[in-house]
Amino acid sequence: MIQQDIKIINRLGLHARPAAMIAQTAAQFSCDIQLSKDQVQVNAKSIMGVMMLAAEFGSSLRLTADGSDEKEAAAAIQKLFEDKFNEEF
Amino acid sequence: MLVLKGVAASPGVAIGPAVLLPGESFAVTRQYIEPGEVKAELQKIRAAMQKTLGELDACEQKVLSTLGTEYANLMSTHKLILQDPSLKDSVSKKIRTEHLSAQAAIFVTLQELAASFDKIEDPFFKERRNDIFDVGKRLVNNLDGDKREFLASITKPSLLVAHNLYPSDTINLQENQVIGFCTDVGGKTSHTALLAQSLNIPAVVGLSTASKDVQSGDTLIIDGENGLLVINPDKYTLANYRKIQREIKKTEALLKTINHLPVITEDGHAVKLFVNYDPRTDTKENKRLITDGLGLLRTEFLYMNTPHPPTEDEQYQVYLAVAKRFDMRPVTIRLADLGADKLPDFPLDEFDQDENPFMGCRGIRLFLKNPDLMFTQLRAIIRMACEVPAQVKIMIPMVSSVEEVRHVRNAFDQVLKEFELQGKKPVNRVGLGAMIEVPAAAIALDGMIHLLDFLSIGTNDLIQYLVAVDRVNQEVAHMYDPCHPAVGRTINQIIQTAHKRGKKVSICGEIASDVKLLPLLLGLDIDALSVTPRMYLRVKNHIRSVNYENCSDLAQAALLMGSSEEIRNLIEQNDKNEDS
Repeated sequence: MIQQDIKIINRLGLHARPAAMIAQTAAQFSCDIQLSKDQVQVNAKSIMGVMMLAAEFGSSLRLTADGSDEKEAAAAIQKLFEDKFNEEF
Repeated sequence: MLVLKGVAASPGVAIGPAVLLPGESFAVTRQYIEPGEVKAELQKIRAAMQKTLGELDACEQKVLSTLGTEYANLMSTHKLILQDPSLKDSVSKKIRTEHLSAQAAIFVTLQELAASFDKIEDPFFKERRNDIFDVGKRLVNNLDGDKREFLASITKPSLLVAHNLYPSDTINLQENQVIGFCTDVGGKTSHTALLAQSLNIPAVVGLSTASKDVQSGDTLIIDGENGLLVINPDKYTLANYRKIQREIKKTEALLKTINHLPVITEDGHAVKLFVNYDPRTDTKENKRLITDGLGLLRTEFLYMNTPHPPTEDEQYQVYLAVAKRFDMRPVTIRLADLGADKLPDFPLDEFDQDENPFMGCRGIRLFLKNPDLMFTQLRAIIRMACEVPAQVKIMIPMVSSVEEVRHVRNAFDQVLKEFELQGKKPVNRVGLGAMIEVPAAAIALDGMIHLLDFLSIGTNDLIQYLVAVDRVNQEVAHMYDPCHPAVGRTINQIIQTAHKRGKKVSICGEIASDVKLLPLLLGLDIDALSVTPRMYLRVKNHIRSVNYENCSDLAQAALLMGSSEEIRNLIEQNDKNEDS
């Protein structure tokens, strides 16, 4: 099991598009992936769950991945945050 | 007769019988199932999900072609919500273990989800509850073979009254018989309002009690120009609105016929009419407009939501696509006006959040402190100009002194030289101009005009700085006044100074689309206007209907006036004379 803390550095926070990107990325992995914030824990593969975190700019999340491909999954999701959900235009 | 005041969300006037949209409560026909029916019920859900997914796919395609990528993204979010494992799991669990019917299972699940979202304090995230309900409604509609979609059951042209309308409802309005709508909730910038505008359906939102005050079958007038809903109007009001409606229809029909006609006044004075362009919200309808070219490409969006500044290559690709989109007609690209309310996500040298951002480090000031950003953008634009035969113009934002212009001119010349050393040269000479929005630049323009090829007046900021009014501050917002004598006189001075040197001046602020002010701007001898695509034909039509000689007289008279009130009266009077 992997656990790591992630800070939200994109200005709009986890609005619909980033939430969609997280859910889509998480769905590519077989391991269980959870995100939690202030005692609320959600399935990262659920777009509604991720939106429900209402995570805004500057807040911190805890990522937990558990399963055979947990390493790759955690890295892929971490990268989304680091790239600020690199939005197309 | 009852008149309700709301927010005008989409222009036009619609008259017709009312149809009330049933509220958020789903009609759950059957609450529980027998244990033996579980399998069939689960099968029903799977089929409905499949069908809904197909609908959303089709919807996404339709939105992509009519409204652009921004709204298409909304639809793809809806698709993800539909496929969300937590939705599926919860619904099938309720069917399996609680023996709820498929409809009831969806309904209960939605209510649980909505309750979680209602706990969120941030209104931005709370709004997403609407998206979830929207998807849920589609799903329920597809469950029951007999239950036709409500909107499709409207058989004659009607006005839809709803407590709240979801974006997906709105997208389907046009294909059904809905010729206008109004809602209790919502604001001018809600998704629903924006969709209504692009569908050309009159709409009023934020009416608070409309869905309670209206009965199905009532005669309604939706006045999308003034944000009014008239319930059961009297004869006089009805006749009056029918007249207004005829006039609007006449104008709209006319607008379609003038697309290919030249932009000249009634007495043959020609001006250029450009379009402001945003590649993110381009539509098929916009592409049909025949314009003189692109008058203002704002480039800040390239710097937003990205961990690093856009590279030369990334920018070049965008500019190339823009030049192609405009079929090699002139394109004016503004150097990024970062700072103020547009802060990039990546760190910048010597940049702290300003106390007073609109007067702080923004536009060319920020670029001169971060010359790498400036050089990269100049290279990307000039590289595009070397590849294609479009006439390319580069505009410098927030210029306040000749020194700034000189710095950019030097950088610009240096980049041209770099390309020359590689054996490359712009197909057409690239123009370098300034956005005049700081009063100091307007007043001392004679000292910098020799370094500039053209000028564009950014009236939104110019007016704000001239009258020292922050438009966002409600205490003083009413003092933001385009009719203030200082505004006309400053524009006049800019145009006169430029014309003495043979340079052209355009206007790209909101007042360029204000048809009432148009005679004044034309009379001041403006060479070009740049307006949003939506206003393009309206402005063109107005230019074609005015008399340039009259405009000149009007402008000369206005320049001598000392108060906003006098100028406004003059403009109103002139407007009436032209109508009659």
